[in-house]
Order: sequence, then C-alpha cells, then structure tokens
Amino acid sequence: MSMRGITIVGFVAVIAALVLLEILGRNPRTRIPTLGEWLGYVMRPAAGRVLILLGWLWLGWHYFAR
Amino acid sequence: MTENTTADSPPAATSVPAARPSQPVVVVPESRLPLGARPARNAVIAAGLIGYAWVLGGTAPFSMKALVGVLLPGAALGVIAYARPPERIPPPESVDVAGFSYWIIAIALLFEWEAAAVRDGSTSWHPSLTDLINPLLGPHPVKSAAIVIWLLAGWSLVRR
Repeated sequence: MSMRGITIVGFVAVIAALVLLEILGRNPRTRIPTLGEWLGYVMRPAAGRVLILLGWLWLGWHYFAR
Repeated sequence: MTENTTADSPPAATSVPAARPSQPVVVVPESRLPLGARPARNAVIAAGLIGYAWVLGGTAPFSMKALVGVLLPGAALGVIAYARPPERIPPPESVDVAGFSYWIIAIALLFEWEAAAVRDGSTSWHPSLTDLINPLLGPHPVKSAAIVIWLLAGWSLVRR
C-alpha cells in the first residue's frame, strides 16, 4: 500500500473509531458518554461553551469560506 | 366472559371528556411543542436553511461573501445563545472519566494524524484531512448539504 493509502486508512480508522464510540455510548450498559453528553458536560461552564462554539465556527470557516 | 353492557354503564369511546375545573389547565408554550407539531413553520425554516446553504455553497473560496456567509450564522447563534437562549438539553452532572478518555484518545489521534500531515506540508503522499475532504466538497449540492449539517450542528450546540 502506498503512503497516501496508509494516510487515508489512518484517517478512516480514527473517524470509524469516533463513530464506534458514539454507537457504544448509546448503549446504556457502557460507561462511554455520547458525543452530545460529553459536549454538554464540557459546555456547562461559559468558557467551555464559548470554546466549543468557536470551534464550530472555525470548522465552518475552514471548510466553507476557504 | 363478556363485559357488562347494560343501560346503566356509561357510553364508551363516544363521550367527550367533561371539563374538570379542579384540574389545572396546562398550557404548553409554543417553543416547547414537539418538533413535528408545527409542520408549516418547520418547512419554512428548512427551506430557509437549504436556501442559505445553497447560496453559501456557491460562493467562491476566500471571497468576502463566503466569509460573511460563515460569520453571519455564527453571529446569529451567538446572539441567540447569549440574549435569547432556547430551552437547553440538561447536561449531565458528570461523565465517566474512563469512558470520556476513549473520546479524548480518538480525538488526539485524529489531531496527531492531521498535524503530522500538515507538518509534512500536506503532500500527495501524506495529505491532510482538509486536502482529502475539500475535493469531496467540490460539487455544489454536496457542499450545500455539508453546510446544512454544519448549521444544524451549530443549533444543536446552542441547545446544549
């Protein structure tokens, strides 16, 4: 496999792991929080809320304005 | 065995519930109605979102229109979150540290993989995630759909 292929497989593997964590988090028998749960927890303080929203804004700028 | 259906028994199913003055009337605020309760309003919002995403998706990269198109919803959500926050989904009191650590590890891996690609100059043999995703966002409908997802994600963040 080429280096480019390895890089792509690496990204796909990590993104697949994130999706798997979300699926596992929805199972009440696991202790893994869902994305919404831990984002909600991080956003409890105002600073966390601002940071997460800024991250969302940066994502939009990065992919849709550039 | 059959039910007793004598003339004394109350009529079934056809009766209109009588007003019970002792029971308080619960008025559900319009903002707390279920999502499907206002189809016309939802259709207007959906059309507006898709239209906005379509226009933004058609702007040229690095243009002022594209920048304003991204900043505008950001500013709108910021104002909503600060001045008139919607009903928020109650956040959990705590999250399991071990469970949360799996997320941290996966996100750190993603950032590390991306940082390694950026460090190498995002060459064709070690492209960054951005350089892999940008060609996928090339077609106008795909980019517009991605913008709709981004806008919806922003709204769901404001509700958190």
